[in-house]
Amino acid sequence: MAKLGMAINLFRCIGCNTCVNACKMQNSVPMGMHWNRVLTEGCEVFDGAEGTYPNLTRTYIPLACQHCENPACLRVCPTGATYKDDKGRVEIDYDKCIGCRMCMAACPYNARVFNWSEPVRDPDFNYGDKDVPVRPKGVAEKCTMCKERTDRGEEPMCVMCCPTEARVFGDLDDPESAISKFLGEKSTFVLLEEQGTRPQVRYFK
Amino acid sequence: MELLKKNKIATGALCILAIAGLCAYVFQLMGGLGVTGMNNGTSWGLYITMFMLFVGLSAGGLIVASSASVFHIEKFKKVALPAVVLSTVCICVAGLFVLIDLGGVYRIWRIFTGPNFMSPLLWDVCVIVCYLIINILYLYFMCSQKADPKKVAVISRFALPIAILVHSVTAWIFGLQISREGWYSAIMAPIFVASAMDSGLALLLISLVALEKAKLIKLGRDLMASLAGLLATCIAVDAFFIGCEILTVAYPQTAGGAQLLGEMFSGATAPFFWFEVAAGLIVPFCILVFAKNRQRTGLVMGASVLVVLGVLCKRIWLLFTSFIHPNMAGAPGISSGSSVAAHSSGIDIWSTAGSYVPTPVEILVVLGVISLASLVYLALVSKLIEGGKVAVSTAAASEAQAS
Repeated sequence: MAKLGMAINLFRCIGCNTCVNACKMQNSVPMGMHWNRVLTEGCEVFDGAEGTYPNLTRTYIPLACQHCENPACLRVCPTGATYKDDKGRVEIDYDKCIGCRMCMAACPYNARVFNWSEPVRDPDFNYGDKDVPVRPKGVAEKCTMCKERTDRGEEPMCVMCCPTEARVFGDLDDPESAISKFLGEKSTFVLLEEQGTRPQVRYFK
Repeated sequence: MELLKKNKIATGALCILAIAGLCAYVFQLMGGLGVTGMNNGTSWGLYITMFMLFVGLSAGGLIVASSASVFHIEKFKKVALPAVVLSTVCICVAGLFVLIDLGGVYRIWRIFTGPNFMSPLLWDVCVIVCYLIINILYLYFMCSQKADPKKVAVISRFALPIAILVHSVTAWIFGLQISREGWYSAIMAPIFVASAMDSGLALLLISLVALEKAKLIKLGRDLMASLAGLLATCIAVDAFFIGCEILTVAYPQTAGGAQLLGEMFSGATAPFFWFEVAAGLIVPFCILVFAKNRQRTGLVMGASVLVVLGVLCKRIWLLFTSFIHPNMAGAPGISSGSSVAAHSSGIDIWSTAGSYVPTPVEILVVLGVISLASLVYLALVSKLIEGGKVAVSTAAASEAQAS
């Protein structure tokens, strides 16, 4: 058993959106959807700022599935299509998803997107990793923590592509892993702690 | 079938709407739920609203019919048959709307091969099936050749708790989701039971008066007045529960609570909220609270229609207010996060706040289902009452003698 997790350094994040596009490329995410987004905290416009001039701050929050230890989406799925796998990731079995969208109502992070119609890709082919399954219309999808890559022992694409190395990835259960040592030194927080979901994605500044 | 043959124009119009709805549904099956206005921000829409409404509407019939035997309220017995037919048709409509809402309805068998018993949606499937079976058994024991009042009495003892449960479980689909400020509340189940009682009773009154007009049943002033009195009580209970919920959200003055109530009081869902408060609760209650008004068919009808519309508005504000503001706020928001964004490209796919407008396809499907249900109800009720007319007229005669 492992518990894969991630720590994201908000001080290092420059809001370049490379992880957003790396995720889209790796996972063949169709048009109109994103598994991974970068929010500008508290702003109505992207790259905006909080506060009044000259006292302004800006924080980018990269946001995807939090791979919670206590996932709200998993409980509500009527067919068990959403499951927690042996590596501690929250995954979706697309064959079992009946498209009821109960999970989308339950997820506090709006991490899930739905294939409302037949997925469209531009350019018109599956540009993702060859091992990533394509999803039919009528199923929900979300960040898999790059299941196909992490199964092969590689880092998720967003971690690998981050130009400022703001993301640290590893096994939270292994005390010798880079992320465990890192979390031992840093004081981190999780998003929406009051929801009790216990995310395996941590943030720090 | 008498009712359908007598009103040829209405029957024709309902048939056309039902067929149009069917065509719209086939169109939706081909194109996917993308032909609706639903999106990643507001992931449930008109179908789930209708599901909530019709689960509630089915309450009145079964509760009145089974109270007749459980609490020995003899006068309710003579409307038990049309009441249970109404209840049966409404619960079928509710189930149908859940199926219509599924994006992968052709994988529905997965619910039976790998059920997750933690899911409130699974509980709902189970309890709706139970409820439907009880309704059908009830009809069977009332109408078959071997009709047996003892069996009706036994089944109504199961019918009442299952009826309460079906509304509670529907409420728990929403009320157990901690992620949605406006749903996550222990009072959601009592609210659903109360709105089911008032909207269900109101629809029952409307249908009974219509059937009386068509000379299929003899309702009588007294029975109408006592059902209307029950309706007034249910409206008051519903209003009380809603008041409790709103006070509890408002009092701590949290940011999330203030944002939610802001949308309800003066924002996107405000028209629905205020319509419900004014026209769905206050006006019908003020009409029905006076015993004299409860004797007047016109006023009772007006109040009943307002109650049904009010509860429809309640379903709307309850469902959609909690979809407007994502917990994780910030630009650019959610991809395909509103009805407009879902059908855009480039930067326009993003939306910082959820919004939803149903498409004509959705509206046609809803109208089609309601038309089909009306046809089935009219056909069933006229067929079953024709069969049992002798019983009704003897009951009416004995009542006339007594008074």
